[in-house]
Parts: sequence; structure tokens; C-alpha cells
Amino acid sequence: MDLEARIAAFREWVEEWARGLYHGMISHPAYELVEKEAEDQEDAFLLACFPDAFGIPSPVSYYTAELLPYLAEEFDQWERRMWDRESMLERKGQQYHF
Amino acid sequence: MERFVFFGGKGGVGKTTVSSAYAHKCATAGLETLLVSTDPAHSTADVFDQHFADDPTPVEGYDSLSVMEIDPDVAVDEHLMEIKRALGDQVSPSIVNEIDRQIELAHQTPGAHEAALFDRFIEVMRSADDYDRVVFDTSPTGGTLRLLSLPEYLEGWIDRLLQKRESSVDLYEKAAIGGREPRRSQVGDPIIARLQQRKENFEFAGRTLRNEAAFFLVLNPDELSLRETKRAIESYAEKNLPVNGLVMNRLTPEPDPEEDGRGARYLRDRVETESTRVRTVREEFDPPLVAAIETRIAEVKGDLLADVADELDVSV
Repeated sequence: MDLEARIAAFREWVEEWARGLYHGMISHPAYELVEKEAEDQEDAFLLACFPDAFGIPSPVSYYTAELLPYLAEEFDQWERRMWDRESMLERKGQQYHF
Repeated sequence: MERFVFFGGKGGVGKTTVSSAYAHKCATAGLETLLVSTDPAHSTADVFDQHFADDPTPVEGYDSLSVMEIDPDVAVDEHLMEIKRALGDQVSPSIVNEIDRQIELAHQTPGAHEAALFDRFIEVMRSADDYDRVVFDTSPTGGTLRLLSLPEYLEGWIDRLLQKRESSVDLYEKAAIGGREPRRSQVGDPIIARLQQRKENFEFAGRTLRNEAAFFLVLNPDELSLRETKRAIESYAEKNLPVNGLVMNRLTPEPDPEEDGRGARYLRDRVETESTRVRTVREEFDPPLVAAIETRIAEVKGDLLADVADELDVSV
């Protein structure tokens, strides 16, 4: 293998690592952070829509019920998230990589 | 006169009689009239001696009068079926069962009936273009007041839901860094569309009630009825829905002067107390007294309806 090819291979390797590092250290955590926040917002939305799932009567459950067909998947995920979440600290803690 | 006319008041004061009489008056004056009964215990059928259904039915013997009796149960069931149909189209069968329970539950809450009734209300107002006048025979005070205050209240609630949804979708879009497909997107989000449509509906109801509706309260010449009416006027005012007039129903007829039996004395005393009540209403109540209707011996229907209609000093 001549020098040129080895340099090219090395550069490819560096680029891949740099991309990986950037993704792992910067973009992925950032993406995760925003997405978690979005999930939190969605949780709040779903809680406002379906408080009856927790035994709190909702004045508009009649109207929000018609959203369920479109929210079914999210509803499922939401219920799971609500079970998983043990404390506010734990949930918020997940968003940071200490 | 406004296109939508509401007759309200305490239970058993004769709202149905008065609103039927008013509808009769409008219809005989040549207006295309629709009388809508929203009281779950419908009694318009008894006044016109005819069976009515959930959609407008022409009344026999009139050229331009139709009656409909809103049945919230039908509306609740339809709503339920519609959601279930959408659910079948949208979702995998494994989740359907889980969600089904949630939906059934939502349709058994006490609010469901009210919401369904309210939806029908809006539907009637929206599709009232064929009619010159729509007369509502409402359920007793409390229920109606709650119903009429719903637009404002629900508008606020839906608004909050909409904001929450929008902010979460917005964050999802932001999370899609570097040309990734966002998990949800603002464009074509069925939830936002649905909520917006609801909101628009409530706004329409609120607007129509404020600008195109007239409210009349029916009362009887007794202390309880007077007090309740006073409170009702205040609550209506709080909701920015001023009462346009009061109708005093069931006044005792005065005996002829030469009569002096026990019955005549009783009637005279009764008329005495009632006339002070009528005076109180005239002097202390803000909305004008537009009619004072005497008690009829027979049930008010047929020709008697025309009699009562004549006594109603409400413009057509």
C-alpha cells in the first residue's frame, strides 16, 4: 500500500471518529435533551387531556376522547413513561450526562 | 328581534307553554319558525298533540312551524360511534381494546350529556339558515345557565390544550437536528386541527349568543320564583347575556265584583298578593315585564295557545 492510500485511509478513520465524537458529545445529547423536553411537554398535554386516567374528572373528556384515535400510540408511551418516572429528579437527571 | 330567542326560568313555571305560544305567534305572523326543546323531559309534544323527533318536524295545522326535541343520548351515542370508527381506521387492533375503555368512560361522565346537548345546540344554530326565528324552550335555570356559560369556559380550556400541543410539537421539530425526520410535525397534525375546529365552534357559539340571541325568563307570582329569577338575572348578566324581558305566568283571574262566595274571596285575596308581586317585578327588576298571563283552566293547547300568544307583548 502506498503512502497516499494510507493517508486517505487514515483521514477516513479520523473523519469517522470525529463525526462519532461530535455526534456522541454534542449533537446526540442536544437532540436527546430537546426531545426529552418535548416529551415532558407532551406529558403535560396528555395529562391535561386525560386526567381521568388518574381519577381526576375532566370537564372536557367528552371532547378529548375524540383525539384518542390519533393519540393512541402516544397514549401508550405516555402511560409507560408515567409508570417509569419515579421522581422528578430522576427524570430531569436522565437528560444530563454527568 | 334577534333570530334566536331563549325562554328560561325555574322548573314548572310554564316555559314550554310560553315558548310554544311565542313560536305560534311568530309562525302565524308568517315567519319560518323552529321551536327547539332542550329539556330532557320534553313536553312540546303535549302542547301540539303530535310526536316530535330529534330533527325538525313540521307541525300539523301550521304553514311555517317546525318542532324538534333534542335528545342528547342520541348525540352521545353518535359521538361514541364516530370515535370508534376513527379508532379502527387509525390504530392497530392491539391498542384498540385499551383505548376503547377510555372512550367508553369519557362518554359516561356527567359532562358528556351536557357537552352533547351543547354540540347539538351549536349545530342547530349553525344550520338555522332556513328559519327566520329559532325559539329555544330550555331546561330549568341551572342547567341552561351552565350550558350558556360553556363556550367561554371551554374556549379557555381548549386554548390551553392547543398551546401545550403546539409547544411540544415545536420542540419535536427542533429536536430533529441535521435533517432528521421529526417525530411529529406542526403541518397536518390531526390533534391541532381537531382542537382548532373545536375552538372555532365554541367561539361561534359565544359570538352568536352575545350578538344574535334574546333571553326571556318565565316566572310565577310567588316568592320563590321571584327570588330565583332575581338570581338568574344576575348570573346571566355575569355571563354578559342580558335578559331582554320577563314573562309572568299563572296569574290568578279576578272574580266578578258581585260574587262573594268563599271561592271569590279566596280569589280576591290571591289576586291581591299577586298584584303586589307583579308590582315588585315592575319596579325592582331591571328587565321589563313583557307579559302577564292568567292561569287557564284547561291545558294550554290548540286555540288556547293563540289566546296566550295574544297576551305576549314580545315583538315578532
